[in-house]
Amino acid sequence: MSEQTLQFIDNNSPVNRADALSKLGWVLAVVVLTFQFDTNEARALMLAALLFLALFLARVPLTTLLRTSPLIFGIALLLGLFHFFITPGKAVFSFGPLTGTAEGLQKGLGYFFRLAIMVLASFMLIWTTNIRELMVGLVSLGMPYRFAFAIFMALRFLPMVQQEVDAVKAAHAIRGRASRSPFRHRFRLWQRYLFTVIVNGLRKAESTALAVEARGFGAYPDRTFVKPFRWTFSGIFLLLSFIAFGVALILWERGAWPLLR
Amino acid sequence: MNIVAASTEEPIVKFQRVTYTHYGKTAPALKDVNLTIRRGSFTLLVGPSGSGKSTLCQMLNGIIPHVLGGMMSGKIIVDGRDVSQTQVQNLASSVGLLFQDPEWMFATLQVEDEVAFGPENLRMPPADIKEYVDEALNYVGLLPLRKNLVWALSGGQVQRLGLAAVLAMQTPLIVLDEPTANLDPAATHAVHELILRLRRDGKTIILVTKDLDEFMAEADDIVLLSNGCVLAQASPRDMVEKHGALMLDLGVWLPEPTEIGLRLKRDGRLKGKPVPLTVEEAAETLAGASFRPEAKKKKQAVLGDVLVRAENVRFSYNKRNQALLGVSFELRQGEMAAIVGQNGAGKSTLSKLLVGLLKPSGGELTLFGRKARQWQVQDLANDVALVFQNPEHQFLSDTVREELEYSLLAQGIDEPREVNRRVQAMLERLEISELAESHPFSLNAGSKRRLGVATMLVGGRARLLIVDEPTYGQDKRLTERLMELINSLRREGITVLMITHDMRLVDAHTERAIVMANGERLFDGPPDQLFQEPKIIERACLRPTALRRLVDALRARGVTVPDGLNTVDAFLEALETL
Repeated sequence: MSEQTLQFIDNNSPVNRADALSKLGWVLAVVVLTFQFDTNEARALMLAALLFLALFLARVPLTTLLRTSPLIFGIALLLGLFHFFITPGKAVFSFGPLTGTAEGLQKGLGYFFRLAIMVLASFMLIWTTNIRELMVGLVSLGMPYRFAFAIFMALRFLPMVQQEVDAVKAAHAIRGRASRSPFRHRFRLWQRYLFTVIVNGLRKAESTALAVEARGFGAYPDRTFVKPFRWTFSGIFLLLSFIAFGVALILWERGAWPLLR
Repeated sequence: MNIVAASTEEPIVKFQRVTYTHYGKTAPALKDVNLTIRRGSFTLLVGPSGSGKSTLCQMLNGIIPHVLGGMMSGKIIVDGRDVSQTQVQNLASSVGLLFQDPEWMFATLQVEDEVAFGPENLRMPPADIKEYVDEALNYVGLLPLRKNLVWALSGGQVQRLGLAAVLAMQTPLIVLDEPTANLDPAATHAVHELILRLRRDGKTIILVTKDLDEFMAEADDIVLLSNGCVLAQASPRDMVEKHGALMLDLGVWLPEPTEIGLRLKRDGRLKGKPVPLTVEEAAETLAGASFRPEAKKKKQAVLGDVLVRAENVRFSYNKRNQALLGVSFELRQGEMAAIVGQNGAGKSTLSKLLVGLLKPSGGELTLFGRKARQWQVQDLANDVALVFQNPEHQFLSDTVREELEYSLLAQGIDEPREVNRRVQAMLERLEISELAESHPFSLNAGSKRRLGVATMLVGGRARLLIVDEPTYGQDKRLTERLMELINSLRREGITVLMITHDMRLVDAHTERAIVMANGERLFDGPPDQLFQEPKIIERACLRPTALRRLVDALRARGVTVPDGLNTVDAFLEALETL
């Protein structure tokens, strides 16, 4: 059985024990604060804080973090490089027709940090939250349970889609390569991954939809919950401490923090 | 002690002249179906692939016509409600449906949450739900795992959880659509025991299964479907007596003792005795039989060079998940072997190592004379072919023809006339020439499976063919056609390795069974010998076939039965007098 990297890790860590709504609020707060930062130093500190939280307080295995790093950092890096090369300014690096600029470096780093922070914070929500609690929490805030359930199912499906992609990739790999051009071959494989994963994904989504309906989902406008939602002290502390940390960074980078000036 | 609750005459399900055509199709999936299921009865739905069994199940809880659409005429009454007038969600309090692959039915992450999901939807009071969840989990033996994540369960536990989720809804009717299709023999047996317990507790059960072995003596009714029509509905005894020959002709998987009885009856050798339904009945019927002293020996294949040599091969996905703990074996050219064992025994890991998708963590694996670590997957693809359980995963093209062409191009065969010749020859061999321009995803289960084999072998260079679960989703006739193809390839010198739970298939077609359990090789030898090792059978969660159990039962009665009776044909050939 291959290890799935985008699914709930049931390790009873301090972050796992925090309530789901506070953690959802925490993700939103982290994202909003990150977009308020003006400097890459503040963004880097926020990313470092997230990594510390992931490794030591959420106890996300390092292997999981490494396996997902192409998603967390790879895309962010591409976005950063793109801005490094397209932003006009003082040239600091050139590679063939590409010229990187000092302004591009700052801008690229900014995009890199923002995207990496957003993705990492979202992944941490997935790793540390039993998404059923999230659904129950959203319903307790007044969201109709059909909508809350849609979010829940999307997150529930992530590891299963990943499993499907792994199976299709393995099956394709052993078919050999029909094109002498590695690019054409790779393009064809990607086309087919998408087709197969979408077709099978839709079929399975249909099976799931049928199965939940067959178990009475949507029979009434509301439903009962055996485990009602409860706010936790650790959740609220996590949320407030990150808001305080983010605000402190904003004050610091803007020179309004006398102790850090 | 449980007492079998007698079924009443009151119907819980009534189909009146029901005809149904799936959305976008022209031919009806069910035709003019009339059917009555009595409250408290246990009914088996049987029929070949595509006969309409799953369609019929989906009508019972209104998925058809409410969700899947299509055209329906006639009337279906379930638990006093007209299905066409009642929404699926509302029928949920009457019908619990367990699907073939319940993993996709799960809507939550934790075992106890999953069981509570249905009752919560039906707005049952939380205190009652807690009680139902405890009861249901206790019933299926999952109470200690109530806090586990659903994806951490084994295949058998997943099915038991599916059943618990259905039970907690307290529905009077339980419908089970092939609940053991993915399970190893011991897990299958455990689920069967659970179904029989439900039956004894008075639940109304409708079961679709190909493993009729354990249910023939317990069921009240068998409904025989073919091509969308209900051909017959009768008690198991009446069904095999009156329609047994038809069931065999249609390719329905029948227990071997029943098949033996039916063939003896057809040949006029049963002399008025009833066709046996169980191993015990067959042993009773054949108690005075005599057999030839020696059964025909399987032809021993001439074996060639060593293709695969595994020496103490180990593999781990991570520190906690040691999939192989030092496995050694050799595979020679021309062999037909099977890897068997419980779910999670390491069978799939081993097959991935053999095709190069994984590299060993320790030990030495030599493939076609080169160390496994030196092989690239794409290069190895010329020598070894793996047919996946779900063949759709390996399809890469938009037509059957292009699919075969791809395989040839991948092996460097690109001369158009040669490509065309080979593709045509393979299409004819598979009897799918008329489907050459069809999309591979649109083929039926049997054709997809055969196309899966063909894509792997059309190039003509593969020396080792690995087939994952050849019988999965196939009726008897389709399986026989696939096995004919595999046997013919083997006669051409291709080594075949099957990964399967189907002990009947192993016994009938292979000379060698490699038994795996918990990442270790427990046994490596002929199936004949394996069935004489009850401890290994038990440790590997296997189960002797009904035929092997019949032979044992006859021997226990003092009948001299020769070794090597691995198929119904072999058994009947060896049987001299009754």
